[in-house]
Amino acid sequence: MTMMGYQNKVLRVDLKEKKSSTEPLRMDFARKYIGSKGLAIRYMYEELKPGIDPLGEENKLFLTTGPLTGTPVPCSGKLSVAAKSPATGTMNDCSIGGHVGIKIKFAGYDMVIFEGMAEAPCYVVIEDDKVEFFDASDLWGLGSHEAEALLAEKYGREYSIMSIGPAGENLSNMACINSDYYRQAGRGGIGAVMGSKKMKAILIKGTGGVKVADIEKTTDRILEILHEDVLQEDNTYVYDEGTTAFLEACEDGGIVPFKNFSSANDPEWEKYNGSVLLQYREGKRGCGSCGLGCGNFLKIGNAVCEGPEYETIAAGGPNAGIKDPEHIVKFNEVCDNMGLDTISTGDTIAWAMEMTEKGIHDFGVRFGQSKEMLEMIEKIARKEGPGADLCHGVKYCSEKYGGTDFAMQVKGLEFPEYEPRGSWGMALSYAISDRGACHMRAYAPNEEVFAASIPPYTEKGKGKMVYELQVSNAVKFSLCLCDFWGTISGNYEGMAELMRLITNEDWTAEEMFDVGVRVINIGRAFNQREGFNRAHDTIPKRLVKEALGGEGPAAGQRIPQEAFDDMLDQYYEVMGWNRDGTIPEEIIQSLL
Amino acid sequence: MKRLKFNKTSCIGCQLCAQVCSAYKEGEYIPSKARIAIETYYDRGELKYADHFCILCGICARNCPAGAIKMDEYITVDHDKCIGCGACAEKCPKKVVRIRDEKSYICDTCKGDPKCVKTCPQHALTFE
Repeated sequence: MTMMGYQNKVLRVDLKEKKSSTEPLRMDFARKYIGSKGLAIRYMYEELKPGIDPLGEENKLFLTTGPLTGTPVPCSGKLSVAAKSPATGTMNDCSIGGHVGIKIKFAGYDMVIFEGMAEAPCYVVIEDDKVEFFDASDLWGLGSHEAEALLAEKYGREYSIMSIGPAGENLSNMACINSDYYRQAGRGGIGAVMGSKKMKAILIKGTGGVKVADIEKTTDRILEILHEDVLQEDNTYVYDEGTTAFLEACEDGGIVPFKNFSSANDPEWEKYNGSVLLQYREGKRGCGSCGLGCGNFLKIGNAVCEGPEYETIAAGGPNAGIKDPEHIVKFNEVCDNMGLDTISTGDTIAWAMEMTEKGIHDFGVRFGQSKEMLEMIEKIARKEGPGADLCHGVKYCSEKYGGTDFAMQVKGLEFPEYEPRGSWGMALSYAISDRGACHMRAYAPNEEVFAASIPPYTEKGKGKMVYELQVSNAVKFSLCLCDFWGTISGNYEGMAELMRLITNEDWTAEEMFDVGVRVINIGRAFNQREGFNRAHDTIPKRLVKEALGGEGPAAGQRIPQEAFDDMLDQYYEVMGWNRDGTIPEEIIQSLL
Repeated sequence: MKRLKFNKTSCIGCQLCAQVCSAYKEGEYIPSKARIAIETYYDRGELKYADHFCILCGICARNCPAGAIKMDEYITVDHDKCIGCGACAEKCPKKVVRIRDEKSYICDTCKGDPKCVKTCPQHALTFE
């Protein structure tokens, strides 16, 4: 049983034995989970035994494309990068842009699975059906950018490169994987999983293609969708401004964190607003098969990055009490090169700043200190001085030094830069997300703040709202579509049409919706098997006990415990889960 | 004569041009066989552009020893005459001629109605 759009092939790479093999894709999984996020989680559920050490040899790194990858379906260039997370102990699927996903597909694979651990630093080169292993001892210790530059010089630009920085080598819970210099699989210590395998880099070149049934008809229709749906104003802001536009929108809603979420809305936010940052833009760049082109390549002084994205602006700037745009770009650049997630790194340093200011523990860095913050990034990546603790993230550090009430994390993953007291649905979204505090599962501010379709400071209706947002994203990300194709969110018939075009099989809107629910459930089932339940679906005490400070519209808000508990009850009910947050056995059986 | 023009500052490097070219010309989404190869990439962290597309300069036609390449409003390659010697590819200033199975494949601007131009989401490619 095969389906058009798939390569029907999985590449399995054994790093210990330095061998590779191929096998057919589990099409029974693909039918139920499509690709990318969903397919990766289904494979993890099948192959990762409960209780394994995320940094041990039994964890695996899954690179997963989807049936749309490598076709001109717009915004289909994303790749799922997944493993059990060392930061949270949950499953963790990240999404990376650039061109690497498409290269994997053109090399002839739906998935590449890395298993075992190399004895010494290595890198792996995949060119179509050829897989080779090389010594990486000369690259070990280098920044991700330096390593990528050396490899690109040696192999040429037909290869896409994924690499880790020193943070991944040193197994930081905040380590990311980089590709194409400026694209990241960012969260949950995914880079540490690659580092634990002693794999510095992966190079991929593919010269093959993807076949569909009636290519002219399919392509004609895809181009209509590109021009009529994707390239409309609701989406094209990402070319004009990218996510820098979110700063102003989030300020309007009063949800930009300031000084470790102690208040919201820095009064001086206009100093680093998108209108300032974009004056330094030198070019635009999107991923393969994109159409929209969100990436802003810019330079300020000696700081260079593609970005900074909203999360990085807020994490490197106001949440650390810093207002200098050049600092924000440098923060982005250094984190990328060291192989650190900007969200978790920024939040962890902001927490350390508050700890120092409060006199609880002196980490040697205070709010507003740019130089110390930038130096701390490298210390974290290299596990030096206070970095030896901070590299584990705020959950670990607060359990060691105190300050848990204002350790802004869920399940060990630090908060993205949205203040939940100004968007209560986001508190629920962070709490129930399959990998800890993540904004990509259900983006509540879109409804509560930007569209203002539902009041933000109430628990009412939030269970259903989060469920609906989460189902839509679960399908989108299992189709490997980018978040920024906003107008396809919730359009299950639109998503079904894409599947019909590429696979030449019947897919209905109802089936797509069911895939989304299934993807959420399989992630939850994985975590349940690891011992997670309602007791872990929590939010930091700061949100419950402290009224939000600052002058923004959400100032004075807090989320009463009863309101939070009620949101959890609502959400579990709509998911059909038990009140203790566990999944009934009949649902689990239906997932397999 | 209308020619393809490329405005690099608008290009986002999505390579939809090559995807669509290969779809209509090769019956498969396979950019390695496309008759256009425009990309953006980072070299030591700097944004660079590669712009391999036919500019209808006619050098290929003039250098074909078999008389297989003709250029009027667009290029045509007579595969019955083509001997696959690769002279066209070697001389092509834009490095966009592909030799495969001893035959030459060159952009024919979709006979004056290029699909890549219709595709380009940011209008980096024009035909004028």
